[in-house]
Amino acid sequence: MTVRDVGRRDVPVLDVRSMSKVYGAGDTAVHALREVDLLVRRGEYVAVIGQSGSGKSTLLNILGCLDAPSAGNYYLEGLDVADLDERQLSVLRNRQIGFVFQSFNLIPRTTAFANVELPLVYAGVSRRVRRERTLAALDVVGLAGRANHRPNELSGGQQQRVAVARALVTAPALLLADEPTGNLDSASTEDVLDLLDGLHAAGRTIVLITHDDEVAARADRVVTVTDGRLTETSGLRR
Amino acid sequence: MSFVEIVRFAVRALLANRLRSLLTMLGIVIGIAAVILLTALGNGAAQYIQSQISGLGANSITVLARAPGGTAGAAAGASSRPLTSGDAAALADPQGAPDVGYVAPVVQASLTVAAGANSETDTVIGSTPEYFPGSNTVVASGRAYDDADVSAGRPVAVIGRTVADDLFGAGSVPLGQTVLVKGVPLQVIGVLQAKGQGGGFANPDSNVLAPITTVQSSFTGFGNLTQIVVGARSSATQDAAESEIYSILDRRHGITDPNDRDYQLISSAQLAQVLDQTLSTFSLLLAGIAAISLLVGGIGITNIMLVSVTERTREIGIRKALGAPPSAILGQFLVESTILSVLAGLIGVGLGVAGTFIPLPNGFRAIVVPAAVVVAVVVSIVIGVFFGGYPARRAARLRPIEALRRE
Repeated sequence: MTVRDVGRRDVPVLDVRSMSKVYGAGDTAVHALREVDLLVRRGEYVAVIGQSGSGKSTLLNILGCLDAPSAGNYYLEGLDVADLDERQLSVLRNRQIGFVFQSFNLIPRTTAFANVELPLVYAGVSRRVRRERTLAALDVVGLAGRANHRPNELSGGQQQRVAVARALVTAPALLLADEPTGNLDSASTEDVLDLLDGLHAAGRTIVLITHDDEVAARADRVVTVTDGRLTETSGLRR
Repeated sequence: MSFVEIVRFAVRALLANRLRSLLTMLGIVIGIAAVILLTALGNGAAQYIQSQISGLGANSITVLARAPGGTAGAAAGASSRPLTSGDAAALADPQGAPDVGYVAPVVQASLTVAAGANSETDTVIGSTPEYFPGSNTVVASGRAYDDADVSAGRPVAVIGRTVADDLFGAGSVPLGQTVLVKGVPLQVIGVLQAKGQGGGFANPDSNVLAPITTVQSSFTGFGNLTQIVVGARSSATQDAAESEIYSILDRRHGITDPNDRDYQLISSAQLAQVLDQTLSTFSLLLAGIAAISLLVGGIGITNIMLVSVTERTREIGIRKALGAPPSAILGQFLVESTILSVLAGLIGVGLGVAGTFIPLPNGFRAIVVPAAVVVAVVVSIVIGVFFGGYPARRAARLRPIEALRRE
C-alpha cells in the first residue's frame, strides 16, 4: 500500500471532519468527542491541551488509528481511515504513525535496539537496512551507546528517548505523543522536549497531548479540548 | 514480515521469560514422562511374569490335596483323604491314563540344612527324576539323581544355587561335599541353575532336592504325599491328561460330586490365565494413572498459557500500535507454544525412556510401549498449541486500544 504521495505537498497530514466519539449507549452514554474538526499540515507542531477527562486521549487514540470514531471522517494523508480493514490499519500505523506514550510502553526484557527495530521488522525491512536505521534512530536520541540495555536498565528519560527513536525509525508522516513527559522528572522532560523541538526543526509533523501549559508552549499551535469540543488557542486555523 | 522473523520473535520472547517458559514445559515434561514410565512398567511387569510362568514347566499338572468344598477344611476333614503313593502309581498306569507322560510323587519338608559352620532352613523336596522336567528344573553342574538313587534310597542331594552360595560361599560348586540335613549327611551330586523368584511362589533356588525314598526314610516317613507332579505327553494332550487324572482320582477317593473333591489340579496354563487377567487389570490401573497425570499436565499448560497471554495483552497492544498485523501476533504466539510443546515433548520422551533404564530388583525391567509414547507426545503438543493459540487468537483480534489499556 502506498498512501504516501510525496508530490502532493498540499495534502494535509491530518484532516478530521465533524468527528464524534461516544462510549456506551442510552442514558449512560458518554460523549468523549463532539463534532470535532482538526486540520494539521505537514511540518506543524500541534499541542492538544485539556483537563483529564476532557477527551484529549480519545482524540489521540483515534488519530493513531488505535480506536475508531463513532461518527465523522478522518483522513490521514488524504486517505479515509474508515475504509480500511484491520490488516490495512496495521500497515498504516506501521508506516505513517509513530507513537510516544506516557508510560513509554517498551517491550519488557527486550533490548533498546530490539525495541527500536520492531516497527521495521513488521514493515518487512531487510536485516541490514534495519540495523543501519535502528542505530541511526538511537543516535538521534543520543542513546547509540545503550543499544544493548534492557528497559529496566535505563532511566525513565532514557526509556522515553528509546520510545521516541522507535516512533521515528520508520520515518512516519505523523509523530503522536501522549503526555510524553508525564512520567519524567524536569531534567528528563527538558531532554525529551528538546528532542521533539529538533525533530520539528527537521520537518517532522508532531501532535502532542499534554495538560502542562509549559510543554504546550513549545508547539507552534495549541488546541484546547473542553468537554469533547476543540478550540484553537493560538496559531492558524482553517 | 517473514516466518523467520516470527520465529526469531518467538525465540526471543521465550528466552526473555525463561522461568515462565520452563514452568510451562515442566507440565508437559512430567505428563509425558509419567505416561511413558507407567506404561513401560506395566508392560515390563507383564512380560516378566509371562517369562516366569513359562519357567514353571511346560505341560505339567500339579495335584494337591485339599479339604473338600474348598473351605471348612476342619469340619469336612473326615471325608478328606490325602494323596498317597497308591494314587501316584494309579496315575502312572498307562492303561488308565494313556495321555500321562510321567508322574513324580513329591514329599517336602522345611528342614535345617548345614555345612561346616553355616546353616539355614530350606525346603527339602523328595521326588523321582521326573520331577526335574516336571518343574522345569535344570542341573547346572554335576547330575540329577536317577532311578537307581531313588530305588536304593541313596543319601544324595541336588542343591539350589542360593543354598550353595549360603553354605559353601558365593559361586561355589560343592560337588562331592556333604550337607547335613537335620543331622543326616547327604552328598551333593549337583547344583541347580539359578531360576530367580518365580511368580510370587517359594524361591526354587533355596530348595534341596533328594530322592523321595531318602527323604521319606530319613525325614517325613512313608506316609502321605505333599503333591504329585504329572506331565502330559504333549501340550496337545494336556486337557485329556487332566480328565484322566480326575476320573482316576475321583474313583480312588470315592468322589461323586465334582465340586466337592478332596484334591485339586493346578496347571501352568491355568496359572498363566489367572495371572494374565490380574496383569491386564494392573496395566489398566497404570494406564489410568498415566492418563490422569497427562490430563493434569495439560491443565497446567493451559493455565500457564492463558496467564502468559493475558499478562502480555499490553505487549500485544504495543506491538499492534507499532504496526503488527493480526497474523504476526497470532503467528508469534503459535510458534512460541509450538516450540515449548515440542521441546518439552522431546525432553519428556527422553526422561521417560531414560527412566526405564533405572535398574529394578529381581531382574525385572520397564519396557517402553511405543504407542504410549506417540499418544503422550501428540496429546501434549495438541494441548500446548491449542491452549497457547486460542488466547493468542483472542488477543490478536483485540482493538489495540483495549489491549493497551490492560495493565
